[in-house]
Amino acid sequence: MTNSQISWAEKYRPQKFSEILGQNLAIETVKSFINQWGRSKKKALLLHGPPGIGKTTLAHVAAKETNAEIFELNASDLRNKSKLQEVLKPALEQQSLIKSKKIILIDEVDGISAVDRGGTTELLSLMTICPHPIIITANDIWKKKLSSLRKKCELIMLKELDYKIIKDLMIQTLKKENKFIENDILTKISIKAKGDLRAALNDLQAIINCENPNEIIFSERNKETSIFEALKLIFKTMPNENTPRAFDSVNMQLDEIILWMEENIPSEYSGVELEKAYHALSNTDLFKGRIYKKQYWRFMVYENIFLTYGISAAKKEIKQSFSNYKKPERILKIWINNLRIAKKKSIASKYSKLVHVGQKRIMQEWPIIKNIIKSNEAIQKELKLSQEELEYTMK
Amino acid sequence: MVSEIWTEKYRPKKFSEIVGQNDIIKRVKGLVDSFNIPHLLFAGPAGTGKSTLALVVVKELYKEQWQDNYLELNASDERGINIVREKVKNFARTKAIGDIPFKIIFLDEADALTPEAQQALRRTMENYSTTCRFIMSCNYSSKIIDPIQSRCAMFRFKLLEQKDMKTYISRICIGENIKMDEESFETIYEGSEGDCRKATNLLQSTAAISPDITSELISTIISNAKPKDIKIVLDYAVAGDFINAKEKLLDIMLKESISGQDIIKAIQKEIWNLPIEPEVKVKLTEKTGEAEFRIVEGSDPFIQLQALLASFVLAGLGK
Repeated sequence: MTNSQISWAEKYRPQKFSEILGQNLAIETVKSFINQWGRSKKKALLLHGPPGIGKTTLAHVAAKETNAEIFELNASDLRNKSKLQEVLKPALEQQSLIKSKKIILIDEVDGISAVDRGGTTELLSLMTICPHPIIITANDIWKKKLSSLRKKCELIMLKELDYKIIKDLMIQTLKKENKFIENDILTKISIKAKGDLRAALNDLQAIINCENPNEIIFSERNKETSIFEALKLIFKTMPNENTPRAFDSVNMQLDEIILWMEENIPSEYSGVELEKAYHALSNTDLFKGRIYKKQYWRFMVYENIFLTYGISAAKKEIKQSFSNYKKPERILKIWINNLRIAKKKSIASKYSKLVHVGQKRIMQEWPIIKNIIKSNEAIQKELKLSQEELEYTMK
Repeated sequence: MVSEIWTEKYRPKKFSEIVGQNDIIKRVKGLVDSFNIPHLLFAGPAGTGKSTLALVVVKELYKEQWQDNYLELNASDERGINIVREKVKNFARTKAIGDIPFKIIFLDEADALTPEAQQALRRTMENYSTTCRFIMSCNYSSKIIDPIQSRCAMFRFKLLEQKDMKTYISRICIGENIKMDEESFETIYEGSEGDCRKATNLLQSTAAISPDITSELISTIISNAKPKDIKIVLDYAVAGDFINAKEKLLDIMLKESISGQDIIKAIQKEIWNLPIEPEVKVKLTEKTGEAEFRIVEGSDPFIQLQALLASFVLAGLGK
C-alpha cells in the first residue's frame, strides 16, 4: 500500500498523550486508572462518546506510554459466549514474551448486537478474573444491554472536538502532506464534521485533488446524537436556532423523549423556571393529545417546539453545575405496580363481568367494592374467588 | 340465579322500572315496539342508566333468548380494535336466533377507543349491518368520531335528579329491609354525585358494616374511599419540595388505580384546606381548572398533574 492510499486519519493517528488534543480530562483519568489498577474496585475502563473523537486512539496511546502490549478485540470477535471464551481466554492466560504488561482493548462494545446472546454476560465474568486492565470503547453506553456493564466500569466520557481543534489539526495535516486548501473550506469542513475528527480528515482527503473543492457537496454525516447530548443542548445552552432540532438525530421515539424530559426537569430547574418548563411540557402533551385525537400530524411542529425550545427558554441563565441525567423511572414503576396489584386486577375482572361495568372502573372504586365482597359470602361464591384472591380481599 | 350484588339485584328489568330519563325511555321503547332498531349511541355521565337501558332493550326484544343474541364488550378493558373486531366477527357470523333478524352488540365505554380504532369499527358496523346492530355507550359524545355518530340515533342521558334516585334507593331499602332517614339519603346522594351505581354500592357497603345506617357512617365510608394522601402531596408542593410531591403523587395514582381526573377533583377540594391567602386559592383553583381541561385534551394526565404541582410550588414560594 502506498502512502496516498492510507487514510490520513490512520496515518496521523496520535502516538503520544501530548498529541491527543481536546481530551485532557479523559487522558488524566486513563493515566490514573492504569496506575491505580488492581487497587481500585473497578476493573475496567469504559470510554464512551461519539465516533471519531479518539477513543480507540486513547487506548492505544495509553498502552504505548505505559509500555504495555495491547490485545485488541473488536465487536466481531465478541460474537457470542463460546466465541468470546475461545478468543479471550487464551489471551488472558498467555504470557507476553517481550512486555510484561498487557492492556485488553475491547473496541465498540455497543456493536455487540442483540443476537449475540451471552456476549455481555461473558464479558462481565471475564472482567472479574482478568489479571490485566481492560479498556472498553462504546458510542452509546445507555443502551439497555450495556446497563450491567456500565455499573462495573469506570466511565469516561470523551467530548466532541471543538471545530477549532479540528481545523488546527487539518492545517497541521496539510502541512505535512505539502498541500493547500482555502481557509473558508477548512472552516466549513470542520464545522460540518460536528466534532468528528476522523470524518473531517476523510472529507479533507476526499477533496484534496479536486479542482473545485468548493463545489464538492459532502455527504451530510447525519450522526446519531445521544439523548444526553440533546438534553445538555436544551438545559445547558440558551435557546438558539439549533434548539428545536435537538432531538432530530436522537434515535428514540418522541414519547420516550418526553419521559426523559419529565424525569430530568426537576433536577435542572426550580421555582419559576420549574413552572415554566413544566408549562412547556404540558403544552407538548396537549398537542400530542390533539394529534392523537384529530390525527392531524402538523401539530407535531408545536409538540416539538414546546418540548425543545420551550423547555430550554424556561431558564434565565445557564446553570453551570454538572448534571447526571437520569433514565425515566415511571415506566418501571408502572410495571412493578402492575405486578403488585395483579390480584386486585383479577378480582376486579371477575366482578366486572357480573355487573356490566369495565374492570378499570371497578379498580377505581376498589375500597367500596372490597367492602361489599368482604362482607358477603354469597358474593364471594358468585365471583368464584380463588383462595389467594379471597385472602387478598380479607386483608 | 339472582346476584347478591345490589347493583345487579336491583337493576331495572323493564322499561317501567327505570327511574328518570323519561323522554329517552319513551323514544327507545317506541323503537323496540317496532321490532327494529337502528344503531344506538347513549351518551352521558356514569350511573345514569345507559347499560341498564341497553340490557332492557335486548331483554324486551329477544325475551328468553336474549343471551343468545347479545354480546357485551367494554372498550376500556379491550382497547385493541383487533380483539373487538375478532369478537364482533365471530359473533355476527352466525344467524340471530328467533324472529328478529339481527343480533345486538353492546359496546360499553366506546369513547375509550382510539380514533383509529373507531374508524375500523365503522367499517365493521357497515359490513355486518344486516346481521348486527350496535348499541354504544360513552361519557362524552365528542370523543366519538362523526362518521359513527351519524350512523347512530343518539340519546343524551342526564344526571339523575334527587327524587329519581330516592325512588330507586327506597326500592332497595324495602327489598333489603333497611331503615334509613332523610339525612342519610341526602349523604348518599351527595356522595354519589348523581351516579346511581355509586349510590347503590355505597349503600351496600354501609349496610355491610351495620344494618343501622346513619349519615355519619356513610360519611366515614365515603371519606375512606377517597384518595387520602392528596393533602400530603400538596403539603410537599407548597413547602417547595417538588420531587417528593411528584413521587408521592405517582405512588398514589398507581397504588390506588386512581385516574388523573379523580386526582384533580381531590386537589380542587383540598385547595380550601391549604394555609394560603384567599387570593392564592383563587389563582390555584384557576390553574387546577386549566389542568383538568388539559387532561381531557392532552394525552398523559401525569404530565399535566406535574405541571400543576409546579404551580403549587410557586404559590408556596409566594410568587
